[in-house]
Amino acid sequence: MAAALVAAVIVLVLFVMPAEYGIDPTGVGGALGLTAIAAPGLAPIPPPQGDTLAPVALGPIALYPGQYKFDAREIVLGPYEYVEFKYHLAEGATMLFAWAASGAVMHDFHGDREGAPPDAAQSYDAAARRQADGSFTAPFTGIHGWYWENPGGEDVTISLHTAGFYSTGYQFNSDRTRETHEVRALDAIPSDN
Amino acid sequence: MTRLIIALLAVPVLAGGALFAHDEFRIIGTVASYKANVMAVKKKEGQTVSVRLDKQTLITRDKKKITPAELTAGLTVVVDAYGDYEDDSLALEIRIVPPIAAR
Repeated sequence: MAAALVAAVIVLVLFVMPAEYGIDPTGVGGALGLTAIAAPGLAPIPPPQGDTLAPVALGPIALYPGQYKFDAREIVLGPYEYVEFKYHLAEGATMLFAWAASGAVMHDFHGDREGAPPDAAQSYDAAARRQADGSFTAPFTGIHGWYWENPGGEDVTISLHTAGFYSTGYQFNSDRTRETHEVRALDAIPSDN
Repeated sequence: MTRLIIALLAVPVLAGGALFAHDEFRIIGTVASYKANVMAVKKKEGQTVSVRLDKQTLITRDKKKITPAELTAGLTVVVDAYGDYEDDSLALEIRIVPPIAAR
């Protein structure tokens, strides 16, 4: 009986937890592709390309192994729709941001630790706002950004501008579609003469 | 015999896991019908999906709780549901909202 119980626990840890909850303490679930089953309909977020742009502290300075990038976009939220827009940042990496909404929105600035289950997101700011300007230093490596929800029956446009040590933007729409956005390098900005 | 016991123990574990496997869906549209705890919603994209209601499903209008009997055809609803698929998902919350203006 004890052996049967142990076997059932092994099945639970090796197969059920990775497939159903995305929890994979042994790594076997990931190797077998079971963790992907935990989120059917949503492809896993691909790892960022190139450098992770982790900072190296030099007194009050943080040096990075690559240039910072910038991004600017407008997102239209139809009635009662929501969106999440996030960037991948290494722990300690910095991002500057400015966003404004054309109407009332519900908002939550939060982050998802790399490898953690989706429901383990950490909220940084969920106060009622229609705009915000600020800087952000990632407390952990993962994707960090905003959830905006349109609580009304009219379209709301979100205007988002960011610059920081990130490589890619990810957009998660309320119809469960997902978009990956490349961010721009500094040479896209013309120099003043 | 041991294998049988393992199988008997594993099946409820696996079934229990499947029971809790879910995705979350936001369904925005108009009520096409409501009958026997199943509401059909015609989405703004055109297709009609069915969502199930249970005793825990919260139904509100103007942030006030109402009963399923008030889900009449033509009402505009925002449904947060979960399930393996959008169709036949279980409604967690149903909000009756003002009609969405045609574009």
